[in-house]
Amino acid sequence: NKMLSSEMCIHILVIVLFCCGSADSRKVRGISSSYKRFYREKKSFLCIDGSKLIPFEQVNDDYCDCADGSDEPGTSACPHGRFYCTNLGFRPHYIPSSRVNDGICDCCDASDEYNSHARCQNTCWNLGQRERAYVEGQMRTLDEGLRLKQQLIEEGVLLWREKQAQLRELQQVAEDLQIKLEEHRRKKREADRFKEQTLRALKGGDGGKSFHLKRILICLFCNPYSISLDEVKAEVVPVHDEERHLGDDEAMVRLKFLTINIRKVCWVLIWLQCSTKSRRMFCFLSDLQKKLAIDYGTDWEFLFLNGQCYKLKVYEYMYTLCPFNHITQKSTAGTEVTLTCGTETALRSVKEPSKCQYIMDFQTPVACQPVLKQRGVHSEL
Amino acid sequence: MFQRHITKRPKMAPVLVLWLAMCLGATWAVDRGNFKTCDQSAFCKRQRALKPGDSPYRALLETMELTNTRLTLQLINDNNKVRLLLELYRLQGNITRVKINELKPLKPRYEVPDVLIRDPPTEPLSVLSQDESGVVLSLGVESQRVIVSVRPFRLDIMEGHDVLMSLNSRGLLAFEHLRMRKDTGAQYTLVVFDFQATKEEEEKAEEGMWEETFKSHSDSKPNGPSSISLDFSLPGVEHVYGIPEHADDLKLKTTDNGDPYRLFNLDVFQYELYNPMALYGAVPVMLAHNAQRTTGIFWLNAAETWVDISSNTAGKTVFGKMLDYVQGSSEIPQTDVRWISESGIIDVFIMLGPTPKHVFSQYASLTGTQSFPPLASLGYHQCRWNYNDQEDVRSVDAGFDEYDIPYDFIWLDIEHTDGKRYFTWDPHKFATPKEMLQGLMDKKRKMVAIVDPHIKIDSNYKIHNEIRSRGFYVKNKDGGDYEGWCWPGNAGYPDFTRADMRAWWASMFAYDQYEGSMENLYTWNDMNEPSVFNGPEVTMHKDAVHGDWENRDVHNLYGLYVQMATADGLVQRSGGVERPFVLTRAFFAGSQRYGAVWTGDNAAEWDHLKISIPMCLSLGLVGISFCGADVGGFFKSPTPELLVRWYQTGAYQPFFRAHAHLDTPRREPWLFGPENTALIREAVRQRYTFLPYWYQQFYHAYRTGEPVMRPLWVEYTQDPATFAVDDEFLIGQNLLVHPVTEEGARGVTAYLPGKEEVWFDIHTFQKHNGAQNLYIPVTMSSIPVFQRGGSIIPRKMRVRRSSSCMEHDPYTLYAALNARGVAEGELYIDDGHTFNYEKKEFIHRRLSFSNNVLSSVNLVPDSHFTTNSWIERIVLIGSSKPAKVTLKTADGNESQLEFDFDASMSVVTVRKPGMNAGADWTVTLQ
Repeated sequence: NKMLSSEMCIHILVIVLFCCGSADSRKVRGISSSYKRFYREKKSFLCIDGSKLIPFEQVNDDYCDCADGSDEPGTSACPHGRFYCTNLGFRPHYIPSSRVNDGICDCCDASDEYNSHARCQNTCWNLGQRERAYVEGQMRTLDEGLRLKQQLIEEGVLLWREKQAQLRELQQVAEDLQIKLEEHRRKKREADRFKEQTLRALKGGDGGKSFHLKRILICLFCNPYSISLDEVKAEVVPVHDEERHLGDDEAMVRLKFLTINIRKVCWVLIWLQCSTKSRRMFCFLSDLQKKLAIDYGTDWEFLFLNGQCYKLKVYEYMYTLCPFNHITQKSTAGTEVTLTCGTETALRSVKEPSKCQYIMDFQTPVACQPVLKQRGVHSEL
Repeated sequence: MFQRHITKRPKMAPVLVLWLAMCLGATWAVDRGNFKTCDQSAFCKRQRALKPGDSPYRALLETMELTNTRLTLQLINDNNKVRLLLELYRLQGNITRVKINELKPLKPRYEVPDVLIRDPPTEPLSVLSQDESGVVLSLGVESQRVIVSVRPFRLDIMEGHDVLMSLNSRGLLAFEHLRMRKDTGAQYTLVVFDFQATKEEEEKAEEGMWEETFKSHSDSKPNGPSSISLDFSLPGVEHVYGIPEHADDLKLKTTDNGDPYRLFNLDVFQYELYNPMALYGAVPVMLAHNAQRTTGIFWLNAAETWVDISSNTAGKTVFGKMLDYVQGSSEIPQTDVRWISESGIIDVFIMLGPTPKHVFSQYASLTGTQSFPPLASLGYHQCRWNYNDQEDVRSVDAGFDEYDIPYDFIWLDIEHTDGKRYFTWDPHKFATPKEMLQGLMDKKRKMVAIVDPHIKIDSNYKIHNEIRSRGFYVKNKDGGDYEGWCWPGNAGYPDFTRADMRAWWASMFAYDQYEGSMENLYTWNDMNEPSVFNGPEVTMHKDAVHGDWENRDVHNLYGLYVQMATADGLVQRSGGVERPFVLTRAFFAGSQRYGAVWTGDNAAEWDHLKISIPMCLSLGLVGISFCGADVGGFFKSPTPELLVRWYQTGAYQPFFRAHAHLDTPRREPWLFGPENTALIREAVRQRYTFLPYWYQQFYHAYRTGEPVMRPLWVEYTQDPATFAVDDEFLIGQNLLVHPVTEEGARGVTAYLPGKEEVWFDIHTFQKHNGAQNLYIPVTMSSIPVFQRGGSIIPRKMRVRRSSSCMEHDPYTLYAALNARGVAEGELYIDDGHTFNYEKKEFIHRRLSFSNNVLSSVNLVPDSHFTTNSWIERIVLIGSSKPAKVTLKTADGNESQLEFDFDASMSVVTVRKPGMNAGADWTVTLQ
């Protein structure tokens, strides 16, 4: 029994010694566990940059010996040193040495204010809770955002295809139209020529006649499909000659002559109509082409934003963001739009750091990236 | 969080930018047409038309009365028989006061109140000799005499055989007596005086005497002509300084070929450099210096004033001067000065030195010294027109922490108010000011919010209603409340010349009156010239009425009164405990008592950086030590290089604040890439390491009136090479700064003064001999600064977020030894923010090193204050290597100290001596 107990004692002693051994380097304030190997209790301490060897008592003795600040990880003595906040329960991080004992609580575990008037509480657990809740919220947002994004991608792909089909169709139509237009153009030229001829022919008679015929022509131009014999008579008769009435035959001859020409002349009008139509058509086509030439992301996930506008009132000003289009509110010399992940698509904030220079925060699911999820998982919590 | 940036630029942008550029290009530089030349200012034109010659004034010796402290004597103008009364006082501290007023003015003429800190104590005057040609009076000490000559009247101040200064020696004493307006028919009162007036005299009394128009503004001049003038001759003087504020060299130029220097507080939009135009402030004090003596002239008059300077050596080349010397000198150099003011009386204080420091103390005995500022106000100030809202303030504040740059104050310009109603906050952008201020307080930082003296006329605005109902507004010539345009639109201007108005104004700073204010909120008084956008020369009409006086009489005082009342308010809100901090743009003699000034709306140009040195030096010479220029330049946008150089310069000037115009892009220190951020950080950090020295210098300025930032000649009075230097300067006696102010500089040439002196580069400790021009190669990180051998400078090397965070930090003593192995310095410590130093709650120690012993002794044995700060390091620059270093404390304990020796620069660094900064001790090198 005695033997056993003394053996146990030795064991305990060994454990205790071991504990103390490791406790020694843990006493060095302001270092992370990965740096502990530099601060093993020895007679002397070598500055981490190797520049100087100093007695170990001078580590954290509130006087800066090493140019790299490595001898004072736990005090404010070195100008470029850094202090490690362990922040158990929250995220560990470094603060500049100048924030050690400056009366302001920087580490949530209060470890930076060990010798100051500041009464710092350990808030790491609360912060951790909040952070975890926040991150969970973010994760949920991200999941939802990614789901929505997938939807938008799918919709985007469909829309893209639809638009592409539309584009192809339009291109086909345009080609046809082009051909027709060519044809019309040719006919128009012909018609022009006929018109000239007609006019010249008509001019061949006396001046008065041609004048009146011109009027008829002009009239016919306006209304080429609703001309009747009587109208020709009515038009021609009173002006042609006061003494003579047009006989039906003569009128008919003239009408025939006219209608032939009229039909030809009519092409002018048709061409005009067609060219307007085709111009409109080409506009639409090039517009679509331009729209489709914009980078909507690899999966066309930003496509749905085209044509949308988002508004936000900040103080007395209303801001409108129309992605891929324009931004309004006063004159906008420069605007930087930051995209952030969210479940809704909305303009979240607008800042004007300098006059007429804007920074907008635009939230949308398509800004969600799976990368964030991985980072969240790896965060040191 | 992953973010994607898209920058969108509408097509309009380039056109807009071009348009703006054209606009700015067209409007850049002052519109001179908005401001009067001497020719356009009727009295200046009249006075300047008077040429030197025999004075019409004659002293009437039979009227002389001499009491123990005062001599009075009547002067008569033989042309018009108007009599003047001359008063002559001998003041304590080697000052002579000369007052000249009308013997029987039609109505009282304005005498400037509230500028002198008391009735200056007098000393006995006695008559040494007298005959019909004059009187000789003894000035008491050192065979100094005043000779009063009868015909023509003149005064000569002599010491031994030397004339120090002559008054009216050029016959330019001119006193426009008050008179009744002739066309009003009320001529009877003039009969006595104008009885013998010549025809010429009457003919002169015409244009601009009873009415004056400038641009569309008419000045009704109900009192008619009232200007005064007097000339001063300074034999042996080639260098005169002072009379700020002008954007000009330190050494004043002669004005023969142009306008005189003008003193008239004006809001000058985009001021031009190197000319005598008036600016925001006016201190009518001139210093004259030669290798033997420094004297000063304080012309106590608050009306529009012009100062002419001429010199008999001005045109001479160096060769010409040499020739004079070789040929046994034809004539003694002399500077002649002439002061002209629009109204009031002649009240001039002649400060007889003989050294610059005597003049500073003489002037301080009249108008007081620089107020001792809170320590934090010597740190770095971050300002912009405007930080937009509380979130903006929070994020800029966070930026300083993120980039590890210290700062003490963040500033809010006019946009923080509710519609430019001062003492209020924008209800949306600054909805919870106390929350914001508490956030700053948690970081031991502070804020300044602007409070301008123009008050929005709005019946829903409490401040306006109170001022109106109490009748506190300045009145127009017809007796109604004066109104003018300024930031809020139509505005009234409180009559700060009234003590009851000032008391009321001060009460508005009480925490329960100024809603949203807290103890870490301080104040900035801008536009207090006052600026009136639609007034003549952008200021108040001269016929506006302050109590019994016209703006004409009091104009240059307005800004002083605004700052006085505001500073009082900040003192009172703390029950008289806390020191105020108030920045002002307009100022006058005596403004030093109320806070800091800055050089107004400068521009982001290299020349504006350069001019900041002579502008602040000139202010320092006339008592106003707490001076700075907007770092980076207010108008326009600095290149990163200019911005960095400006930070490097500003870090070594008394008031260190960055500021920017609303239309400029952001320029917080971290916006120009990591390299520039690092350069700016380093400059600001250097400032913070020197805060103990700055603080001690300000304490010294408060005690003595000596400038903190001073020209070289103030310390090296006999070295003519220093007399015109204004591209470098001293801080106290011990730091010499030659900032880099040239674009693309590869090097600077600094003059290191003093034949006996040695100077040490503060960065490398390299030693340089005095009395030489030293070429210093520079890079972007260079700030050429030298510590004088023979000085000890305490510094705090643990630079933290703000000066308050460094309060308990230990000191490093930098002792730079002179050729005799001796050094001296002081260490001053107090709580940094209360008036308890007046009750001697401070530590003030003399540090001295001689015979290889460094000791700290108490300079003020009955002072009482304790500090946690200790001495962490002693750096002995220019020392030989000791065998051992021993610390001996007051209780007799001795201990060995560790030390390092750098043989290349001869620097001993004593490691952690550890004694309390307030204790007696010695450190011995053996």
